[in-house]
Amino acid sequence: MPAYKHRMTKLFLRATLFASTIALIQAQTDSRTAEIEAARDRKESQLSPDTPNTWEQRLIYVKDAKVLERLSAGIAGVRLKIGGMPTGSGFAIGPDWFREDWGRGEMVLNAGAQGSTRMWHKEYASVKATGFAKNKLWWEAEALHHDYNSLTYYGPGPDSEKSNRTNYRLEQTTVDTMLGGRPVPMVRLGGSAGYLRVNVGAGQDERFASSEKSFPAVPGFLRQTDFFRTGLFAQLDYRDNPIGTRAGGNYTLRYDYFHDQDLNLHDFRRLDLELQQYIPLYNKRRVIVVRTRAIQSFTRPGQVVPFYQQASLGGGNDLRGFRPYRFHDDNMLAMNAEYRWEVFSGLDMALFFDAGRVSPRRWQFQFSQLETAAGFGLRFNVRNATFMRIDAGFSHEGFQVFVKFNGIFGDRSLHSSLAPHLF
Amino acid sequence: MSGLLILLFVSLAAIASPKRFYDDDPLPAEPSPREASKAVRRKVSDYYDFFQQTFASPGQRQPKHGSPVPSQAINTLGEPMDGAWYTRRHYYTPMSTEELVRGPGNTNAPSTDGKWKVVKAKSEGVTPGFEFIDSQGRRYVLKFDPLQFPEIATAPDVLVSKFFHALGYHVPENYIVHFNRDQLEVGPDVELVDAKGRARKMTSRDVTELLLQVPRDKDRRYRGGASLFLKGKPLGPFKYFGLRRDDPNDIVRHEHRRDLRGLSVFCAWLAHDDSRAINSLDMLVDVGGVPHIRHYLIDFGSTLGSASYGPNSPRSGFEYVFDWGPAAKQFFSFGLAVPDWAKATYPDWRSAGRFEGDRFDAAGWVAEYPNPAFSNRLPDDAFWAAKQVMAFTDEHIRAMVKTGEYSDQRVEQYIADVLIKRRDRIGRAFFSQILPLDRFEARDGRLVFADLEVPGRRSYRYQWSAFNNETEVNTAIPSATSAAVPAGEGYLSCKIRLDDSKKAVTVYLRRQADRVNIVGIDRSW
Repeated sequence: MPAYKHRMTKLFLRATLFASTIALIQAQTDSRTAEIEAARDRKESQLSPDTPNTWEQRLIYVKDAKVLERLSAGIAGVRLKIGGMPTGSGFAIGPDWFREDWGRGEMVLNAGAQGSTRMWHKEYASVKATGFAKNKLWWEAEALHHDYNSLTYYGPGPDSEKSNRTNYRLEQTTVDTMLGGRPVPMVRLGGSAGYLRVNVGAGQDERFASSEKSFPAVPGFLRQTDFFRTGLFAQLDYRDNPIGTRAGGNYTLRYDYFHDQDLNLHDFRRLDLELQQYIPLYNKRRVIVVRTRAIQSFTRPGQVVPFYQQASLGGGNDLRGFRPYRFHDDNMLAMNAEYRWEVFSGLDMALFFDAGRVSPRRWQFQFSQLETAAGFGLRFNVRNATFMRIDAGFSHEGFQVFVKFNGIFGDRSLHSSLAPHLF
Repeated sequence: MSGLLILLFVSLAAIASPKRFYDDDPLPAEPSPREASKAVRRKVSDYYDFFQQTFASPGQRQPKHGSPVPSQAINTLGEPMDGAWYTRRHYYTPMSTEELVRGPGNTNAPSTDGKWKVVKAKSEGVTPGFEFIDSQGRRYVLKFDPLQFPEIATAPDVLVSKFFHALGYHVPENYIVHFNRDQLEVGPDVELVDAKGRARKMTSRDVTELLLQVPRDKDRRYRGGASLFLKGKPLGPFKYFGLRRDDPNDIVRHEHRRDLRGLSVFCAWLAHDDSRAINSLDMLVDVGGVPHIRHYLIDFGSTLGSASYGPNSPRSGFEYVFDWGPAAKQFFSFGLAVPDWAKATYPDWRSAGRFEGDRFDAAGWVAEYPNPAFSNRLPDDAFWAAKQVMAFTDEHIRAMVKTGEYSDQRVEQYIADVLIKRRDRIGRAFFSQILPLDRFEARDGRLVFADLEVPGRRSYRYQWSAFNNETEVNTAIPSATSAAVPAGEGYLSCKIRLDDSKKAVTVYLRRQADRVNIVGIDRSW
């Protein structure tokens, strides 16, 4: 039999079988009910467990077993902490112990240690007690030691050269305590005290000169001292959501007195004022943010602020077209404006303009002399909280890209004895 | 040989071709369900559901070209049949205001004669809560409003359940409850898994601490929403596409079910953008000794502009959480292209979510993320839903909103006003997409019907045909061009249109002895 005839015969038989089957079904389904029952018959012959696929099963397990929550909570409060060191540390990681269920849930305990790829390290412990005076008072204490072996320094003053990049080692140990009160819901007031031990050494990043060799006359490099600090703070905070603010304001004021314990050279007082205002537009899908931060130092004749306690300007938190810690001096003014708009629920974009300047004299800032930067950024959000941001800033010194795992202009410590750019 | 083959094909196909209408058409209800006792509980990952439906296209979607896939799980009149998914209610047999307010039931509110024994901490959903058993032995899920937004979730959870019941869906009985702290006691050995995944025994203190985050009413009592446990065995959510593989009665892909395609219109009306798998529940119920699966909609706390934990995003209902087009527009426009929805205004009442009617786009409304059944909706699906929405009068709506027990009368009035406004927009949007004729009857020798868009004020063009039920061929009856039903036995069809528009309704009638029955309706647009 020719091949094509063989194929045609097979096709004929199949067609006959197919049509007969349909006819048979049709004969059995002479009502709508029978038709539905026939479909049920077919379904019933193919029943199988309705199980999710492997990927869905894994996601169900992650949620049911609260895997992310367990990782976050750790084992008996011990978990891995990633990040949390100042800019320049490289990738930082270390164990962190956190409990908030002690003292009937009115104590928060935290301790940990971190090391970074650039061999910086930090150890810390803190306790916070709430619940006094009908939850209107709280107390905190913190001890910290760090050794940052290659912090960047470009020299003092607003005219420091970008090419004069050096680095230094800063080892500090602090013990701070504070007592705060909340007389009305949006206001916090309090006082704090602390002790600070400082050791400055040669920078370990061999790509750059060590700072004390380039700037031997800068106070603080050759002789170090300890400080006893006392301070007051006040905060008015009416932001709608502190971790993803779209409306409201946050105004903080700190005033600290640093008393030189050994050299009688570095007594100074510092005023740290920050004003943040969030102006919502279009149901908060657009936000204009304006922020001003001013740090002013006060010294008596014969006293100077050591360089490691001076205000710093530049980097991902204030002047984003400049390198981190680009400018240092006793006084600083930074102004930022951002226009943010929602791209979709998980992403906002921002256009920003930054201006600022450091100065050896108080309130000596002429607008024409301000360093400026402009750029754009991305703000990644989960559940109304910013968990990551990318900012690209442009200035006459080039451009900088910053990837940060926090919201810009976030909350800052009201009681730390460290320099403002290190907490 | 090949000629013989074709002849055989045609002959057998002719023998095998099904009739258009059977004697039992139109079926008012699905045939009695088959036993599904082997079905087991399945879970759905809400994250998987989101990513799958946002970045893939699960299920069978409408083709980009060619004929669309019409709805299924309907009878020959185009109506879903009473059964495991749906029951024809208010539109078909008008319910009284009392019946609408009663909803799925109003006689099983938790008894305050004795303590409510907490038997489980609620771990699913975005709001905290408990499961408790009252003195009558009835079990409930108890949910709360966020402290700063009293009533924003509990009120919709109750009142929207009444609407979905009247619209034909299976829903639980939800109640607003007010109670004091001593109403609750923790049962023995209740396990609590805290927010950090640590399991421990639940204590009375846990209840007290949770209640610290719960708003109180003017009498200093706690307000909550108590949802009566459904009867039967829970089998997990249903998906809005595909079939449940262990249910012999589930024979129509969910994305093609009219009751799920049309659900999109109801969700638009009630701003139920959280209408996703995880807010549904399949229950194995035993009716007449046959355990079978019944499909429920649950958890309406995220409706009427609420996100349960606060007001919903103003984007809700207008755009998906993520959508390439709008995101690209925002990305490249530097935010200068302000979406229309962002300009909406909302009253500054904490009990009311972001719910409004002025910018509401009935046809363009979307859920949080793509829903295969909603995406497959066709104009006749939307019409089926819109006619049911339009069946609620202002008085019905105001009475049903009262069941949310808003403490501020202005909020109650506002919610009702917005629902009325959105109802009217739904009617305008969907009745204009097709010829909105319904409620067909052959009465006194004439074909009568209701025009749902312009009642009694339009003149229609009729073309009657003799309809061959086996070959589905219409043979025009030239003289029959009015509403009068032509004489003769067998099947007739009548194509009705307004003008030369493509929008038409074809009604099929079967004459048997002296009776003329409407057996089928086709809509074209």
